[in-house]
Amino acid sequence: MEAIKEAPIPAMDSLTSAMKNNIVPNQEYLLQGSVLDSAVEVLLHRLRGLCDNVDSGPETFHDHEMCFSIRSVTPQPLTLRVRRAIDYLDMPYQLRYIGQPELGDKSRPTILRNSIDVATTPTIVDFLTEMGFRMDFEYILRGYMFRKGRMKITVSKIFKMMVVGKPAPESVDPISQSYLVELSVLAPSNQDAIAEDMRVFAEQLKPLVHLEKVDYKRLTQPPL
Amino acid sequence: MGVTIIQQFPMKENRTGAQIIEFLTKRVNALGAKQCGTFLVDCETYASIPQLGAQRTLHVFHNSEQPASVFAILDNGTGKTVPVVADALFDLLLLKMSSVYTSKKSKVEIRGPRFELNDFVIKIGAININHNVKGIIVEAEYRPCVVFGLCWDMLREFLQGFLGSCVSNIPPHYFQNRMNDIFQPLDTIQQYLDHITIYRKATGILQQYNTNTT
Amino acid sequence: MQREDKQLELVLENFQSKLNEFKAQIYALIFKLEHERDNVNWTTVLDTFAVFSTQYTAIMKYLSYEKLPQLRNYSVLPLMLNPERDEDLARITENRVPALSHDIVPDFLRTKTEPEVEHKLMQVEHKAGGLQFETAQKQLAAFNKVVNHVLDLVSKAREEWEVETGARVGIGQTSSVADLHTLVSAVSMGKNLKPMVPQVSPGGMMVPPTGRPVTPSMGPNTPPMGMMPKPPPGMKTNVKAAGAPHPYR
Repeated sequence: MEAIKEAPIPAMDSLTSAMKNNIVPNQEYLLQGSVLDSAVEVLLHRLRGLCDNVDSGPETFHDHEMCFSIRSVTPQPLTLRVRRAIDYLDMPYQLRYIGQPELGDKSRPTILRNSIDVATTPTIVDFLTEMGFRMDFEYILRGYMFRKGRMKITVSKIFKMMVVGKPAPESVDPISQSYLVELSVLAPSNQDAIAEDMRVFAEQLKPLVHLEKVDYKRLTQPPL
Repeated sequence: MGVTIIQQFPMKENRTGAQIIEFLTKRVNALGAKQCGTFLVDCETYASIPQLGAQRTLHVFHNSEQPASVFAILDNGTGKTVPVVADALFDLLLLKMSSVYTSKKSKVEIRGPRFELNDFVIKIGAININHNVKGIIVEAEYRPCVVFGLCWDMLREFLQGFLGSCVSNIPPHYFQNRMNDIFQPLDTIQQYLDHITIYRKATGILQQYNTNTT
Repeated sequence: MQREDKQLELVLENFQSKLNEFKAQIYALIFKLEHERDNVNWTTVLDTFAVFSTQYTAIMKYLSYEKLPQLRNYSVLPLMLNPERDEDLARITENRVPALSHDIVPDFLRTKTEPEVEHKLMQVEHKAGGLQFETAQKQLAAFNKVVNHVLDLVSKAREEWEVETGARVGIGQTSSVADLHTLVSAVSMGKNLKPMVPQVSPGGMMVPPTGRPVTPSMGPNTPPMGMMPKPPPGMKTNVKAAGAPHPYR
């Protein structure tokens, strides 16, 4: 057995050097769109043709996402999301921080937002609650996941939960007659070349689905 | 991954931490143990800001034995503790929480040599609180077994073999309700936290004593 | 003399910026090859090479512009070779060349192609020169025939495909902007998903994400009216419910 001779580096130091070397995936490039229930089959068919995981077929998922927030002295609360798989109970939970989305100018093909993704033990829900976080809302996602290189494409139906904490199929309600389609890449900083690939991929899904940079600021305004 | 127990070794007057480590190193070498690198366990403690109500304390640990994990233990101030084991990026998330949980600036590091002896792993570390050596901690792991209750007697005897009478015959308090549970890396961390708490309290008393006498 | 020096500096600067641009493009390709090795298709690589070739031609054209000082009249000669690592050299070459050693100098300062390559090139040129005019014509005609045939196939396939997609447009609407906004505001801000009226605390009050009162005119996706405006006592129990351990934990 080969013994490690060097002294262990403190975790914070190795994290700092990883950040400096730009190898920490902390940014998400994102495009969003939607497809009506009636057309989702056509979309899945097309994605099967375009994406990598052709042989195994699309991967299905059934997740429960909870959004927690904590208020500090600043007016903007800190929001964290916890996601868990309902269909695979022994999978780690996913804890996620998502920053404010940046639209950028016309030349930037996708939304860019900070994102920190951490796998954790299931105790995280209790942990956040005891830390002082409160759950703002929760929902169920059900759908399909595709891969194309480093790009991830999800087609998901969003359900509202009628009973808090009960994701049973009989107590959930779809919130819309459409599926949410998301095209994303999680990458270290300064890899803008991937955004161009995403734009090209999004072109291939037209006119079935229009993947776009959804302006979150405009969503908070009442429609005219 | 086996069962790990952690034992304090008393500091002697007029002896530095390094001298005690050297002294113990000679003893384990005499048993036939080979040194395999060094180890490091660190702990940073955070406290919730007053606006959140009852003060909560968050301890965040790293252990060189599990380099890809972060261990966080939250004490909600009313006796309930919740642990979480997460990926290394959890540290980045903590930075985002700096407005609600602030560092207490009392960094604890336990570092020292790591030995292997057949099925056992022995670590002898000096516990540093804010870069001052406060004591010596010995960690012993028996790798083929994962249930504390099944190997406690042997581990105790093993430790007594080179540490002497400072090893108690009663199992550590932490294991009293966990005799038959499957051992997890988190259990090692929980024991470190127990020991760190003791040292911190002792330091507090000592400081009080010092300020009273001056 | 000084004027000439200045001009030379300017030219080198321009040349360097062009080269850097070119380098960045090559980096992008290498990055792609390293990270997406499994699904790089030949067309994109070919396109990239076409871009490289244009870049290269542009640079060569720039260099042969007659008003520029002839760079070829300047020679570079190594004064000293050193097998030891040279930090300055490593830094300016981004760690590609750690030392100016005997190993690399013949390759880096080469002004002619390698003898082996040169020999091969000669052979090919000789063969091309020795070809009979008639044979060449014949080969050209055969090649044209094949290409035209392929072109026919492609245009036919394209026609068919266009008819097909034309038919598919007939499916009608496949996506709805309103639905997209409903979905995105739900997952990002919890619109229509909150189990209760947002809690109001004296310090920081939480504005409902829509910024307007909850009214029945919200659209078809509003949950049943009974769900939304709950009296304050109900709100309290709900807050507790969120804090209590969940059954799936």
